[in-house]
Amino acid sequence: MRIELDRPRCEGHGLCEEAAPALMHLDDDGELVIDVSEVDGSRLDAAKAAVRVCPVAALRLAAA
Amino acid sequence: MTAPIESDIDIWDDDILVDPYPTYASLREQAAVVHLPKNDLYVLTRYDVIRDALGDPETFSSTSIGFNPMVNEALQGTSLASDPPVHTQLRATLSQNLTPRALRGLKVVIDEKADKLVAELAATGSFEAIDSLARAFPIEIVADLIGFSGHVKDNMLRWGQAAMQVIGPLNQRTQESFPIAGELYGWCSSVTAEDLTPGSIGRGIFDAETRGDIPQGAAGHIIHQYLGAGVDTTIASIGNIVALFGHHPEQFELVRKNPELVPAAFAEVLRYWAPVHIWGRKATRDVEIHGVTIPAGAQVGILFGAGNRDPRHYENPDTFDVLRNPVDHLSFGYGPHGCAGQGLAKLEAHAIIEALARRVKTLTISDEVREPSNITRSHELLQVEKVVAA
Repeated sequence: MRIELDRPRCEGHGLCEEAAPALMHLDDDGELVIDVSEVDGSRLDAAKAAVRVCPVAALRLAAA
Repeated sequence: MTAPIESDIDIWDDDILVDPYPTYASLREQAAVVHLPKNDLYVLTRYDVIRDALGDPETFSSTSIGFNPMVNEALQGTSLASDPPVHTQLRATLSQNLTPRALRGLKVVIDEKADKLVAELAATGSFEAIDSLARAFPIEIVADLIGFSGHVKDNMLRWGQAAMQVIGPLNQRTQESFPIAGELYGWCSSVTAEDLTPGSIGRGIFDAETRGDIPQGAAGHIIHQYLGAGVDTTIASIGNIVALFGHHPEQFELVRKNPELVPAAFAEVLRYWAPVHIWGRKATRDVEIHGVTIPAGAQVGILFGAGNRDPRHYENPDTFDVLRNPVDHLSFGYGPHGCAGQGLAKLEAHAIIEALARRVKTLTISDEVREPSNITRSHELLQVEKVVAA
């Protein structure tokens, strides 16, 4: 699966980073950076958690 | 398709507004969607259905977030009451000063103010927590943010309460509040850059309008939404923090011993007692949910507090547990219309919880009064009978 970010919708709340720190982070300007976008196996659960907690529904998982 | 499941309650009944949770439980067990003929309304009661509806603005339009036509008319053209794609730009304009990255600079000031206020109250031995803390703190923060003082600050409590109240149905509370909400609207329509403190976010919004970064006239609308949405809700949350720590001393003790629990504790306060009782949507088409059809054009009411206590989603939902960390609670809404001010709300509430954990050893509550209110559920009075400073 691939993590997709709807950039205009992202407001930098940072809950995704807390849920999946190995996959994404907020940079020094508070902009979200997806470090790992193709996920499977053990990383898929973390990616799902990140998608789940985004308060503005800016993240989704799509077929790779 | 089956006939809708009905209930003959009035969801704005005084007793239900003061203590809605027994009603939420019975509606939620009846069905995920319940028709309330008395209110001409379909309420959503279960977690998954609420979250799906909030994430689907094409089916559940925000053109009817209020429960009377006058308020929906008055909100036309705001991000609150619009749908994508128009909503997207309005929302960006509204939220650009409220995102966590924009607010980073405010954290130190907010933390200092919370600490000072809570330390003073802790030293008094006993205090009334609504006027002296739950109202005083957010009003000061929002006044500083927008950059006003004087008579405007004095009016913030009644203006903020009225702005939420008029979102309700045309009951007596709404009718009495319209003139007061009108005062707020009038001030926001006439305020100019020079009225606001240089360097404040409010002043910055006018500067953006002058530069042409946002449309002419948008500055007043934005300030109206900050004041209308950011006062009564935060007051409710801070009152709920103090009340719940008073009711559950062992939970407060956990936070005192483990300050890293502060964000989880606030998420649990929001889940356990939702500050916003009900919020509206309009069904844009016939939509079938769990076999019940909501007809196109129907008014929908989202019961955040009912979803937050849904046992299908949260284990032991009626237990207040600061270790739960329910980051997906519904009290800020969800999706494109998710609370734009949640970053600021968290800054304020986390600062208060941290200050309580640092400055207070124990607190006991002797008297607690809630007045019925159409949209927000807050305390009118919360007497801390005894506070022991840490």
